[in-house]
Amino acid sequence: MLQITDLHAAIDNKPILQGLNLTVNAGEVHAIMGPNASGKSTLAHVLAGKDGYDVTQGSVIYNGQNLLELAAEERARQGIFLAMQYPVELPGVNNMVFLRESLNAIRRARGESELDAVAFLRLVKEKAKLVHLDEKLLKRSVNTGFSGGEKKRNEILQMALLEPTLAILDETDSGLDIDALRVVAEGVNALRNPQRAMIVVTHYQRLLDYIEPDYVHVLANGKIIRSGTKQLARELEAKGYGWITGGAAA
Amino acid sequence: MNLAESNRQWLHNLITQGQHLPGQQLDWLNQTRQTARQLMASLELPHRKQEAWRYTSIERLTKYNFLHAPENDGTLPDTGIGEWILPDNGSYRLVFINGHCAPRLCDIRGLPRNVAIGCLRASMSTDGEVIQHYLSKQFVPSSPDLFTALNTANIDDGLFVHIPKNVTLDKPVEVLHLNLARDSELLILPRHLVVIEAGASATLIERYASHGSHAYFSNNVSEVFVNDNARLSHYRIQDESSQSHHLGRVNILQGADSNYKGVYLALGGSWSRCEIDARFAGKGAHCDINGLYTVHDKQLTDFHLNVLHNQTHCSSRENFRGIIAGSGRAVFDGRIVVDKQAQKTDAQLTNKNLLLSHDAEVDTKPQLEIYADDVKCSHGTTVGQIDPKQVFYLRSRGIDEAMARKMLCLGFAEEILEQLELPEVRSFVENRVQDTLFAPH
Amino acid sequence: MTVMPQGIEKLVNSSYEFGFFTKIDADTVPPGIDEEVIRLISAKKQEPQWMLDYRLKAFAHWQTMTGPAWAHLKLAPIDYQAISYYSAPKTQADGPKSLDEIDPQLLDTYNKLGIPLEEQKALAGIAVDAVFDSVSVATTFRKKLHEAGVIFCSMSEAIREYPDLVQQHLGSVVPFKDNFFACLNAAVFTDGTFVYIPEGVRCPMELSTYFRINEAKTGQFERTLIVAEKGSYVSYLEGCTAPMRDENQLHAAVVELIAMDDARIKYSTVQNWYPGDKNGRGGIYNFVTKRGECRGDRSRISWTQVETGSAITWKYPSCILRGNDSAGEFYSVAVTRGKQQADTGTKMIHLGRNTTSTIVSKGISAGEGQNTYRGLVRMSPRAENGRNHTQCDSLLIGDQCGAHTFPYIEVRNPSANVEHEATTSKISEDQLFYCRQRGLSEEDAVSMIVNGFCKEVFNQLPMEFAVEAQKLLSVTLEGAVG
Repeated sequence: MLQITDLHAAIDNKPILQGLNLTVNAGEVHAIMGPNASGKSTLAHVLAGKDGYDVTQGSVIYNGQNLLELAAEERARQGIFLAMQYPVELPGVNNMVFLRESLNAIRRARGESELDAVAFLRLVKEKAKLVHLDEKLLKRSVNTGFSGGEKKRNEILQMALLEPTLAILDETDSGLDIDALRVVAEGVNALRNPQRAMIVVTHYQRLLDYIEPDYVHVLANGKIIRSGTKQLARELEAKGYGWITGGAAA
Repeated sequence: MNLAESNRQWLHNLITQGQHLPGQQLDWLNQTRQTARQLMASLELPHRKQEAWRYTSIERLTKYNFLHAPENDGTLPDTGIGEWILPDNGSYRLVFINGHCAPRLCDIRGLPRNVAIGCLRASMSTDGEVIQHYLSKQFVPSSPDLFTALNTANIDDGLFVHIPKNVTLDKPVEVLHLNLARDSELLILPRHLVVIEAGASATLIERYASHGSHAYFSNNVSEVFVNDNARLSHYRIQDESSQSHHLGRVNILQGADSNYKGVYLALGGSWSRCEIDARFAGKGAHCDINGLYTVHDKQLTDFHLNVLHNQTHCSSRENFRGIIAGSGRAVFDGRIVVDKQAQKTDAQLTNKNLLLSHDAEVDTKPQLEIYADDVKCSHGTTVGQIDPKQVFYLRSRGIDEAMARKMLCLGFAEEILEQLELPEVRSFVENRVQDTLFAPH
Repeated sequence: MTVMPQGIEKLVNSSYEFGFFTKIDADTVPPGIDEEVIRLISAKKQEPQWMLDYRLKAFAHWQTMTGPAWAHLKLAPIDYQAISYYSAPKTQADGPKSLDEIDPQLLDTYNKLGIPLEEQKALAGIAVDAVFDSVSVATTFRKKLHEAGVIFCSMSEAIREYPDLVQQHLGSVVPFKDNFFACLNAAVFTDGTFVYIPEGVRCPMELSTYFRINEAKTGQFERTLIVAEKGSYVSYLEGCTAPMRDENQLHAAVVELIAMDDARIKYSTVQNWYPGDKNGRGGIYNFVTKRGECRGDRSRISWTQVETGSAITWKYPSCILRGNDSAGEFYSVAVTRGKQQADTGTKMIHLGRNTTSTIVSKGISAGEGQNTYRGLVRMSPRAENGRNHTQCDSLLIGDQCGAHTFPYIEVRNPSANVEHEATTSKISEDQLFYCRQRGLSEEDAVSMIVNGFCKEVFNQLPMEFAVEAQKLLSVTLEGAVG
């Protein structure tokens, strides 16, 4: 589904990704771990098409096409979903309106009919239950005044609604207490299926206790320096990143 | 004679005095004075129809026939100057009396080599190049101003500070501007120049005080240059007699990555106005200007603040608070302008006022003028009074009402007072704030 | 990020949707102003002597005044002798008695504007007084309103039929000496709307007027007076458009509102005058004096405005809070693009005890538009416990525009509480990316964010108007991005 080959990316001429290779197949869950500033979030942003990153070398092929040529909304419409580390607040923009606009944009791209207000409401309510999101939050402005946990649950709710082909979760566990983490992880697990791939970016092994990955990759200095199974994550937790990066533990 | 005519006459008197200033042998200085004199002739006296003078009348000034202050005669009050200077805190100390340096009261022992702290007049011979380079040249106000021109036309003496490149001054510089108002109505026109060269840093404490009960008019202008990556902490305390008239202008020009922190306190005077103009000559600088004004009796205090963001990546914080008691009047006019090219500007302006009496008045005008798009700017203003619920809470804990109000006022002022990083300055100012607000007048 | 510049270009190039010109024979007075012109206007309108005297007094005073000079407005000098002060469609001479008699071309104009004049809109229960250039041509629902005791008619008619009411109230809120344009208006106003709601009456429907400037080189000097007696309620909607022309056209209206004890007046405006072309040529100069007086205790006046048009807008709908416990509100959305300049805001003059005022101003600047909020909050010595809250937010789209905030706060009473907050921001790249990552186009994202930004104000508009305002905003910012 996704083939990343020798990817180099820079921000303001500062190289961040320096020759990253990764292949993800349908149905797989890949965890990307790494110390701070190793390039984890950059990878997530480059895949989603955020501006400000210069890809200087390498390629990303998604379902047979050059992903890097597509605009951010095109990628979203083709099934790439990024759950953000810091979901953005949209003051005054009603959450329901936003979700519906988003879902219908993606449905249109898939050649599906738009949902009417009633069908949409039913669907949202069902999905909100999945992530234990208070229905009141649906009526408020997008992420505005939400707690950290509420923002993250709102992200997973969107993921459930939009049913992506490739979901990228960028530090979804950061700042969450254990209950919220469990709820978010349950939501994610419910969305696992053989057609859908996931890339879970995290600094800590803890999340992987809840979302069990098929593969674990360690990212350092913009490259994947080691790949393995869940066992690798456990070792990392025990020994620290210094164990494989050669530097001080992060 | 009608009002307009008498005002013109008043202005004419101010202009024609002071034709025989020292330093006539310096061509550039003569030229500067001459240009200012010509400028004055083309300007009218401020009136309420001018936006900058909408809330502040100069009637209180035009009542008097001010005369240029003579060289000081050296006689000091019997009590000495102890009450106006900080307890010995090991600062470099300068004392100016009626705008002229009083050398025997100064103490700059141990001043590092190459650092100049002294009076402008004497420094003309030792630091002539620096003075000629900066004085009235590098900072050109956005619009011509009559009182600045009056000062410039009479440049003679004042504070001169020059901290050379990369020097961190070990002790603060404390300057007392003492105005003696023993008999006639004096016009005092000090001119100050402060230059902090690249990478240097210093702390400057200025205090305007008065002795004697006659009216006078201090029309002072300071030019402050904080060059690339330099730092200046500037505490300016205006605490003069109830017969004083004070018009202070401070022009600040900051180099790249520099930091200016100002704390302005206006505690006294019959009529006082402080105009602060800050702008940038390089990227990445931070400007932090705080102020507190306490006003009572028939006082009028006016702050005019103008911060011009004309460079990218600069930030500024302007935070002014006022406590207005008795029949005091306060005016606050703060303006942030962000030029087209000044992207990534981050500026915040806050003005809060506490009204303590029924006759108190406040006029406040916080303004944002923004021509760039990638900026973060905000301003906030409040006018309110002491919250009766808070008073009740304190009383329910056994504190009497007067004390409760006093505590709450000081609490209100705290956000500004805590900016006074030197403990001696802080406790000194805190006492003065209490005195001015709560001592029987 | 490349989003904005591209957006600006489209935005700047999007054209004025309502720029058509209706060919109708008009009865127009030659350009220029003097006593004769005023006598002529008064005579054409068959006005009583007192009205003519009032006009002449105003004109005499106007001649002693000089036009204002504003620091933040750039405008070409206006030649007052080049303006025609009276323009009436010729068919008016016969006096249309019903819709059937109205020039079909005129009706067609209204239809293009989507003005709710005809049956379809009748179902919506809206009464419309349409002002076409200077003379009110049709008034609907007169009968139903009449039954409720509500007077809703053109100003000319009111002067003839309800002279006592008009004489009592006209100029009592905006005296002719008030300002240059109000004074000119008092001398030469041609028509406008008069509304009178008797004691205890809740006006059974929304009242609506559409202003439209048609004739070339005509100034439009409308005069509106709304009087709400004790305990009454009225909601009034005003919409404005003008055809495209090269010359700048002057619009200097005066609106006076009077609310007695417990009365409430809600006044909503959607202003979409022609803003001029992308080079700043043509467009309306919109210099309007709007003022409401909460004369009675517990009275309330709300101004809501959505300003997207005009080359220059100069407008400060204000409230004089004279009655105790009275309340004034001002909700505004102002959009400037191209070379438009808007200088708008409000004055809240607190005179009575326990008076409150709320100001919510949202400015959106795009292209080379300049958007200025200018407001005054005054707490007079008698205004015990006065309260004001002001929120001014500016949104910038592109790097050629400007947003300015000039609040004046004058407090003479220590029990007053005044709070003013202002922010300036641009549509952030993070916000756009977030929306795009969820599959929205940039254009939809911008429109959604802008509508969100304005929501507090749109919420104040009557339902139908709110929809129209949102639509107008979308049209105005059409192609803002992508």
